[in-house]
Amino acid sequence: MKGAKVARSSQGRRVKPGGGFELGMWYFMRISGLVLVLLALGHLFVVHILFNVEVINYAFVADRWTKPGSGFFWRLWDLTMVVLAVIHGLNGLRQVLDEYVTRPGRRLALHTVIWTAAVFLVGIGSYAILMFEKDHEYIKRHPRKDQAPVAAVTVAPDR
Amino acid sequence: MSQSLRSARYYNRGLWSRLVEGLRYGGGVGQWAWLIHRVSGLGILLYLFAHIVDTFFVVINPAWYDHTMNLYGGHVSGSYFWPIRWAFRLGELGLIACVLFHSINGIRVVLLDLWPKGVRYQKGLFQIVVIAFWVIMIPVAIWVILPLFSPPPEHSTPEPEQGTTSVMVR
Repeated sequence: MKGAKVARSSQGRRVKPGGGFELGMWYFMRISGLVLVLLALGHLFVVHILFNVEVINYAFVADRWTKPGSGFFWRLWDLTMVVLAVIHGLNGLRQVLDEYVTRPGRRLALHTVIWTAAVFLVGIGSYAILMFEKDHEYIKRHPRKDQAPVAAVTVAPDR
Repeated sequence: MSQSLRSARYYNRGLWSRLVEGLRYGGGVGQWAWLIHRVSGLGILLYLFAHIVDTFFVVINPAWYDHTMNLYGGHVSGSYFWPIRWAFRLGELGLIACVLFHSINGIRVVLLDLWPKGVRYQKGLFQIVVIAFWVIMIPVAIWVILPLFSPPPEHSTPEPEQGTTSVMVR
């Protein structure tokens, strides 16, 4: 090996940590990962295969989150997904960057940025899901694109 | 496993050489699985950040959200630009590929943790991952790309309206 020795590479080995926070995260990554396989692939299937990104607009999201019966289910799905995905993703980023950033001061700064980002993203994500209220006036003017012909006729007199 | 007999590797000084050394091919199929898993994970995280922010528009201003979604279809300020539509569609396909690979390979990682002796069959397991990925990915790619060859659906681009900005403080 040439040059100064700086840091050891993981070289693709996923070694189970001995204990503490890292062991907890090791379990979290595996359990949340398996749950996210279902949640994220299900989400992609509904949005990109059953529907289509070009028909998704505000009215679509409003229906999804507020329809009686299914609205609660989708909010719970999305809330679980956003919390698990943000922590799983940012902890993964932390594990990657920890292999490159080895000085304690820089690591502290890095971890502070990463966990602040996690709190921010979980915060705005769950705020949007939990505090969402339908804007009926707006939807009358801009109805769903996949039901446009019917909806446009029924809302026309209200203009 | 031959990997465990290898002595520890060290990076040279400098950010670039650390990056290159870290990505270096280090042994067998497992190294490729590890590298693609890592890169796809970082790609998903980048998109997740944008996706949470754009979904937050839903509670701030519905028109901002519809503007963002119209951009996906190639509509900017009331005009249609086909390269934008294509770029977002191909990006969408890339995202689906990342999530799909990360999911299937993630299952393989968990399986090997629960069943350490499975390492003996790791080559076969990775081949199963690659085959499962393409079996799902090819029909999905056709399904996602085909609509690009027909004109975009009817759209209305709402201008951001004054007054709806205060939806948050009801």
